[in-house]
Amino acid sequence: VTAVAERVVVLDGSTVRSREAIGNKGRSIAEMLRLGLPVPPAMCLPIEECRRFHAAAGVLEEEAWQSVLGGLAGIEEKLGRRFGDPERPLLVSVRSGAAVSMPGMMDTVLNLGITEEVEEALGRLSGDPGFARSTHCRFIHEFGQTVLGADLDEPAPDAGPAEVREAVRRDTGEEVPTEPLEQLRAVIQTVFGSWSSRRAKAYRRHWGISEDGGTAVIVQAMVFGNLGEESGTGVLFSRNPLSGDPAPYGEWLAGGQGEDVVSGTHDPLPLEALAEQMPSVHERLLDASRLLEREHGDVQDIEFTVERGELFLLQTRSAKRSPLAAVRTAVDLADEGAIERSEATRRVSVEQLATVLAPRLAEEVAAAAEVVARGVAACPGVAGGTAVTDSDAACEAEGDTVLTRPTTSPEDVSGMIAARAVVTERGGSTSHAAVVTRALGRPSVVGVGEGVTGDLAGRELTVDGSAGVVYAGLLQTEEVDPAEVPGLAQLLEWAAERSPVKVVDEAPDAVDLDAEGTSLDEGAPDPEALAERLRGAPAARGSVLASPEGARAVLLAGVPRVVRLPGQAAAALLLRLAQENGNLEEERQK
Amino acid sequence: MVDLDLLALHGLAVKKAGGAEAVAVVIGSEESAVAGALDEAVASGRAAGAKGTYMVSPAGREWLDERYPEAFADFRADEAASEAYERFERINRELLSLFTDWQMIPAAGGERIPNDHSDADYDAGVVDRLGAQHERAEKVLDRFAELEPRLGIYRRRLDEAYDRVLAGDHDHVSGARIDSYHTVWFELHEDLLRMLGREREEAP
Repeated sequence: VTAVAERVVVLDGSTVRSREAIGNKGRSIAEMLRLGLPVPPAMCLPIEECRRFHAAAGVLEEEAWQSVLGGLAGIEEKLGRRFGDPERPLLVSVRSGAAVSMPGMMDTVLNLGITEEVEEALGRLSGDPGFARSTHCRFIHEFGQTVLGADLDEPAPDAGPAEVREAVRRDTGEEVPTEPLEQLRAVIQTVFGSWSSRRAKAYRRHWGISEDGGTAVIVQAMVFGNLGEESGTGVLFSRNPLSGDPAPYGEWLAGGQGEDVVSGTHDPLPLEALAEQMPSVHERLLDASRLLEREHGDVQDIEFTVERGELFLLQTRSAKRSPLAAVRTAVDLADEGAIERSEATRRVSVEQLATVLAPRLAEEVAAAAEVVARGVAACPGVAGGTAVTDSDAACEAEGDTVLTRPTTSPEDVSGMIAARAVVTERGGSTSHAAVVTRALGRPSVVGVGEGVTGDLAGRELTVDGSAGVVYAGLLQTEEVDPAEVPGLAQLLEWAAERSPVKVVDEAPDAVDLDAEGTSLDEGAPDPEALAERLRGAPAARGSVLASPEGARAVLLAGVPRVVRLPGQAAAALLLRLAQENGNLEEERQK
Repeated sequence: MVDLDLLALHGLAVKKAGGAEAVAVVIGSEESAVAGALDEAVASGRAAGAKGTYMVSPAGREWLDERYPEAFADFRADEAASEAYERFERINRELLSLFTDWQMIPAAGGERIPNDHSDADYDAGVVDRLGAQHERAEKVLDRFAELEPRLGIYRRRLDEAYDRVLAGDHDHVSGARIDSYHTVWFELHEDLLRMLGREREEAP
């Protein structure tokens, strides 16, 4: 890390400064550079500069600005491009980065440095004037919203920069600067200023975070996957995040840029396509993936761009994974020595384990059943009952019901709570019904089509909210065989080694907590009080024992056995006990 | 001015079922007056009630549908109300996709996995977006409150839900059993649809 005239830190990986000095994003870039990984050149205005900015009544001091210009010159030199130069244009992104992430601060503005001339150049270089124009529009839109505070609708797909500019002017009476350095200075000041935004202040007040801190500003060169040959963008997972298979898994969009990956406008290819197109880049990417996985001790989700044959890593973070993959990768990482076995038992949550073991429809049962409706799978799980068409009926019914509605309104929430599953005619995965059923954990299928639910009234149905299918009849679900879940047997063995309490199917002398009126309906129990009740008991059973507090009480009381109730998964109880035991040991050590 | 008989039953329809206290919160009136109005609605067959909890009866729904056009004629004819509603709809779309992101995290291959809230940065990002939408919503709600002061109550309820989220009470983003941001927004949406005589458009 080199200081430019003391006020700006050019990130180059020679030293890693603390999170408190350069913020979390600055440090993460510096760490990648320290590992020798290719990252687009960047500089950082440290958190100290934010304090100076506020001390100077919201103005970036001239000396700091001169340092920014010095840092910018360094970035320009590294890439052989210049900010605002139509021949060899450099665009930069500006991000905030406090020591701890916090809501309410300005997050990111992309594509600074674009002007009419640069747009034209970008169109020429990419061979795609439409892309250049939308990049320009996006910048004006973002600047208008984040710097000038305009309340803007998304620009129409055919809108040009002039129209977006006019929309900003109409809403705020202000102009988006056309001069690149003016853009940069304004955005940096906005990031610093956002430390004192109403939302950020409210957050700090709630959490007792000092007002003396601040945020760093990261200015980083943008790279493009759509400029010329041998370019593209993609995502790499160091292991398959769906199955947990240890082979890296990813998507490659040849000639694609940034948002194309997310927006689905380009069809992504598997990673093998990159291996064929640019074998050395592919190899370098996999090396980076292994290195980052080892460094972080966890599966990584890496965004990358290749510009004219040169690889750039944009971001790495712990990968989101399916519950199935969580089990397998935790065990694999421990087997490979990347993490401890006790850590592996902590990497899988009890909720993930419950999802893995949730009863499902057997394929042959589903294949033989009559499909009465198909729609969008909105909340996973399988449940059945008699179809009722309004909430009152669901609330009043004696047996299990499936609530079927054209669409749902607030008046249906009570019915959704009472029903086992929900089906709606209209709406998609973001509809009210989808949001509410997920909050309640009710399997749901939405958007099955106009008029469909009327015919279902009174029939017995089974809703598969994982597949988005509604079947006639009450279908039998089957238990998942733990032996068929890769890694699960091993994980449970490790959990058993870490739990002094055994989980058993039956024990005649067990204290029955539900029968005594201690149930989860009263909320989570107080572990100490419950431990008092259980002390000396040879065994215990009860719905509360599935909760962390219940497991803790059993451990504190030294109860040797827990009896599993019909609805409880033995594996989940065991994992909970092992995790709580680990927490207790940690607390004792402190 | 809309009479309390109508307003109380309207508030009950927005909530579906509830006590006078909850309805009084929705319509911003005195609880005792609302209780009186709801008891009268029960007496005239427009609502059913037991143990202080009321529900709109089918006859009550018909009665509301008949009365709405006249009761809210000014509001329906006001271009400013339609304009504000258009903006409300746009924020609504953003919010619904935000609630989905809150509950289900985008994962590889276009799949989504349930958010177990173990990633504080991810959650903070969504809370941040909620804050940005809340600031947009405040402007729209202020416009509505100028046209119909009663609607100002939603601004306060949304402020409170957002404040709880900021304080780390994550259930107040989209919890279904409490006055979460989503619950209050959903009721506001229903309230506006009924006042304006519009149908709910669901997100694609």
